[in-house]
Amino acid sequence: MPQTVVRTSGLRKTYGAVDAVAGIDLEVKEGEVVAVLGPNGAGKTTTIEMLLGLRTPTSGVVEVFGADPLAVRHRVGAMLQDTDAPESLTVAEIVGLVGSYYPYRLPTPLVLERADLVAQARMRVTQLSGGQRARLSFGLAIVGDPDLLYLDEPTASLDVGARRGFWTQVSGLTDLGKTILFSTHNLAEADAVAERIVVIARGRVIHDGTPQQIKALVAGRTLRLTTDAPLSSVRDLPGVRNVHEADGLPGSRPITIQAATAEPVLHALFASPYEVRDLIVAEASLEEAFVQLTSVGPDVAEENRR
Amino acid sequence: MSTTHRSPEAVATRGRSGMVAAQVVSEIRRTARVPEYFIGVVVLPVILFAMFGLPNSGETLPGGTTVVAMIFVSFACYGVVSQALFSFGAELAAERLQGWLRRLRSTPMPMWVYFAGKLALNLVFTLVIVGGIALLAALAGDARFDASRLATTTAVLLLGTLVFSPMGSAIAYWARPRAASTIVNLVFLPLSFLSGFFFPLSQLPTVLQGVAPWLPTYHFGQLAWSSMAPAADREIFGAGDETSIAVSLVVVLAWGAACTVATAAGYRRELDRERG
Repeated sequence: MPQTVVRTSGLRKTYGAVDAVAGIDLEVKEGEVVAVLGPNGAGKTTTIEMLLGLRTPTSGVVEVFGADPLAVRHRVGAMLQDTDAPESLTVAEIVGLVGSYYPYRLPTPLVLERADLVAQARMRVTQLSGGQRARLSFGLAIVGDPDLLYLDEPTASLDVGARRGFWTQVSGLTDLGKTILFSTHNLAEADAVAERIVVIARGRVIHDGTPQQIKALVAGRTLRLTTDAPLSSVRDLPGVRNVHEADGLPGSRPITIQAATAEPVLHALFASPYEVRDLIVAEASLEEAFVQLTSVGPDVAEENRR
Repeated sequence: MSTTHRSPEAVATRGRSGMVAAQVVSEIRRTARVPEYFIGVVVLPVILFAMFGLPNSGETLPGGTTVVAMIFVSFACYGVVSQALFSFGAELAAERLQGWLRRLRSTPMPMWVYFAGKLALNLVFTLVIVGGIALLAALAGDARFDASRLATTTAVLLLGTLVFSPMGSAIAYWARPRAASTIVNLVFLPLSFLSGFFFPLSQLPTVLQGVAPWLPTYHFGQLAWSSMAPAADREIFGAGDETSIAVSLVVVLAWGAACTVATAAGYRRELDRERG
């Protein structure tokens, strides 16, 4: 039975009146590769910073290896989006310095190889490109041979070729039994790399499952039409997951419906007394459906009106 | 508790001592690559001594102390205070502006290691400053040092490095980061001037002479000069006063302690703000 490595319960972070993280319950088992998927501003970075102990939760519990995050830093590596490093040291020297902070470390040449920075070993940080800085950040995350690795949007500044190499290195770490939690806003990447995807939006976990489950959830049909049917009745039609209207005007206006399948929705619409015209049915792309799933939709807008 | 999954290539490190050593080496490399810093902080006091100290070569005070030896103490004190304030004040403030210090908090390095690395480098540089000026004084200024007095003076100068470094870091943590460098300059020049590091106190206007005993650097100077020369020589040189050595020692140590507390509070404040 794998042990729990990360556990949060009711984790919340509030900045003024804004809930950056609005109550996250998360459990990550030893050896899992978990993607935290969500749009920008969903609370991914704030969550990772609380898991690292860099931020104090407003309320809730964080446990890493059953302890306070600050007490287990020697077993944790983090690749953060902030890629600052001392400007007067070389890449190899920075890796060597950070390696000395951990009880066990990987030799610098090996880290440079894994981070694809062998050619940049003697360069200063100021001479590195954005992608090279991100790779240095990865090198600093793995140099202490951590059991748990956080990667915050690791591939955001990498080109396609570098991404492939990057994930190859990460899979080498998972083969050793290390636990990996990474954030991304790219569903295809989460699908390709993770065995479990936690979808967060507006600071909450809205789905948690295997990539297959998440994909099944978002796959389906997109229906675009112009109708005078009220949103609430459209939302109640069979198989409808989400409805967007272009504007809030009464009467006929274009709306977009996300549904598992198109036919039951169309049957019901045509049987209704409402007008239906300009109908287009399309296969929902994963990305589009994902955006629909996580964006601030009319359901939230309606909650606010109540 | 879950098991660890050690990589086959992983090697054990040397723990805390290894961290401190790596930190010191990094500080040395960093400084060596910014020659402006080394010249401004380490070489400048030696040059100033050469300009203002060496011309007094050949003059001896009645107790046997040479004037050059007294001026050696003055400029070494200046070098100690200047280094402490610039490395811990201006440099640390600049580093605070970058994200690196925050990033280090996600590593298991305790923050004291970072400060210890800087302090160790400062102690080494103090020895370089003191050694450089002393060598110049002995060879070109005929300073005729008494070995035991020179050793005591060096110890006082190292103590000064320990005491005034927290003053720099207190400025770094409480001043707005972009203002810290200016504040260090504003603080450090009058302090050196009013404590008699540039020329003897007796040559200052009486009003300013009255201000001096309120300054921690003045008491540091008193400790340093009194370890180099007997009271009679200090008085003729113009550095003497009625304050006892014990009082000066207490003032200097208390100032160091107060600045350490202020630094810790400032660090705490920054941590709370970052985690907030």
